[in-house]
Amino acid sequence: MTTLTVSDVTLTFGGLNALTNVSMEIKPGLITSIIGPNGAGKTSMLNCMSGFYHPTTGSIKFGDQDISKAPPHFVSELGIARAFQNIELFAGLSVLDNLLLARHRHLNYNFFQAIIYYGKASRVEAENRAFVEDIIDFMELEAYRHSVVGNLSYGVQKRVEVARALTLNPKILLLDEPMAGMNVEEKEDMVRFTSDILIDRGTTVVLIEHDLGVVMDISDQIYVLDFGEMIGEGTPEEVAQNPAVIEAYIGEE
Amino acid sequence: MSTNRWLATGNFFTSYKEEQRIYRTHLDRSIFIVFLAVLFIWPLFFPVKNSTMLVIDNVMIAMIAVLGLNIVTGFAGLISIGHAAFVGIGAYAVGTAVTLLGKNHELIVYGWPVMILLGGMAGAAFGALVGLPALRLKHLYLAIATLSFQIIFEWVIMLMSFFDQGQTIAVGRVYWFGGKVLRQQHYTFWYYAILVFLILCGFMVRNLLRTRHGRCLIAVRDNDRAADAMGMHPGFTKVYAFIVAGLLAGIAGALKAYLDRGVGIESYTLHTSIEYLAMAIVGGLGTLNGSLWGPAAIQMLDLRVEELAELSGHYLPAELNLATALRPLTFGLVIVLFLMFEPRGIANWWRMFRSYTKLWPFRY
Ligand SMILES: Nc1ncnc2c1ncn2[C@@H]1O[C@H](COP(=O)(O)OP(=O)(O)OP(=O)(O)O)[C@@H](O)[C@H]1O
Ligand SMILES: [Mg+2]
Repeated sequence: MTTLTVSDVTLTFGGLNALTNVSMEIKPGLITSIIGPNGAGKTSMLNCMSGFYHPTTGSIKFGDQDISKAPPHFVSELGIARAFQNIELFAGLSVLDNLLLARHRHLNYNFFQAIIYYGKASRVEAENRAFVEDIIDFMELEAYRHSVVGNLSYGVQKRVEVARALTLNPKILLLDEPMAGMNVEEKEDMVRFTSDILIDRGTTVVLIEHDLGVVMDISDQIYVLDFGEMIGEGTPEEVAQNPAVIEAYIGEE
Repeated sequence: MSTNRWLATGNFFTSYKEEQRIYRTHLDRSIFIVFLAVLFIWPLFFPVKNSTMLVIDNVMIAMIAVLGLNIVTGFAGLISIGHAAFVGIGAYAVGTAVTLLGKNHELIVYGWPVMILLGGMAGAAFGALVGLPALRLKHLYLAIATLSFQIIFEWVIMLMSFFDQGQTIAVGRVYWFGGKVLRQQHYTFWYYAILVFLILCGFMVRNLLRTRHGRCLIAVRDNDRAADAMGMHPGFTKVYAFIVAGLLAGIAGALKAYLDRGVGIESYTLHTSIEYLAMAIVGGLGTLNGSLWGPAAIQMLDLRVEELAELSGHYLPAELNLATALRPLTFGLVIVLFLMFEPRGIANWWRMFRSYTKLWPFRY
């Protein structure tokens, strides 16, 4: 099991610090949450972890491997997958095709086997289809398998977004506000999925979420960001009693 | 395995392999096989004029070229305004071999299938080269890069005496098992040769599209950030799209060189590039069957325009060259009309026709 270590990361956009000296440790086998008010830098942190942004200073390591400068496709191959806050699905494709796309790296046939198709490509495709069906089953998306993603409701699209990241079969799954904009039932489902992802599939979860009730309920470890700085960390109980955190949240409301 | 594989009704899948099939029912597959067979035997029963066969041959070559254009522009979403230059690369690969070895060298007249594949490889190599900017450039900038390739290609050919300044480099008559292919059989012979290549290329693309090597194109087109997160290198995927497009274009070009029995720049100019784009748009971007509809439709249109121009030639003064004016005009009009009213092209009509007939007799 591999730990994701963020040390002293600063991320600057034209003079503005989105993140200032942030350090955190994502331990395997836990649900780690990152919370904070709007614009605190949560998505920026996730972007750094997944290779979309590169820290201006500081480093991010996955095990012994430095991934501070690594591009997203490289990070994803190492086993860090993410779901996007603003849905970034392939809108014109079916749910099934969206998920099959996430199997890209696992389809180990070459170009020539692909154009001949019969034989290896066909076999590998069928095996991977079975894997994808597992995920569809797990995320309860059976009814939407052949639907074009763009036509689905927002809540279902969010679920497909998570399912697609899960289809990469990652070691760590980064979820950016997977429950935002959902109704109560959808939210309950997503909470259940999130904890099942860890319990049933053994995938470490990093969760960004605004609903503190949910966060306190399912997190093992919480990091609190405010204006790009880490203002608190610890177990839910510790964070709930941290005066800086209380002030940031009450000050906001 | 479902009990009934002839009709759509009651035909369901019991394994993932079954669902991979191109043809859902035996009926679909049989219709397709009969269709292919008809393509092979009709010239035996309906002898056509050489001029008609030449038109058909050219349409099929355009189909191969547009298959390639559809890979890069339709599926990968990268506008290429230099596709005729890639076709030209294939043709000039044959032209180069002729200049170096002589027009009746064994490799040219006996080894023509090899030459056609070499043309494809040359196209692929230039595809890689021209695709390289895709690692950095996007959208319009990339389109401009393909346009400059087209311009550079034309200039290089027209300036180099090696390529006879773009004038026709003659290619010898090929040999087949029956001996030399003579003038009378020429167009029918190439009909068969082009048909075989077209079918192979069509199946190649069809198979690509049901594997990761085809899906990744659509992924970078629809959302290259997400594609990146899915473990695809968006830049390399785009370069790869250009390589496949170049491969198909090169094959088309080499076939054209043999069909025309010569290579000259006038078939591979910017004008032709635009024509390919028109074919892809009219046929339906990002569809396989659109690559077949488009060239056929545009060619039909072209013939009608020519007839019209000829007809009006009787009544109008000769210096008023209507044909030259009408062509680009109708062309532009058709593209605009399609973009406005049927952006998904003729392929969409086909899709609607298919889903209409599929309902009979009650699927499921
Ligand atoms: N690409 C970028 N260019 C410039 N500024 C950026 C960029 N990305 C993020 N920022 C800035 O960094 C700060 C943190 O943004 P971020 O999206 O990380 O916040 P967040 O905590 O995810 O907020 P929310 O809860 O609204 O999603 C914001 O002030 C934002 O404007
Ligand atoms: Mg955010």
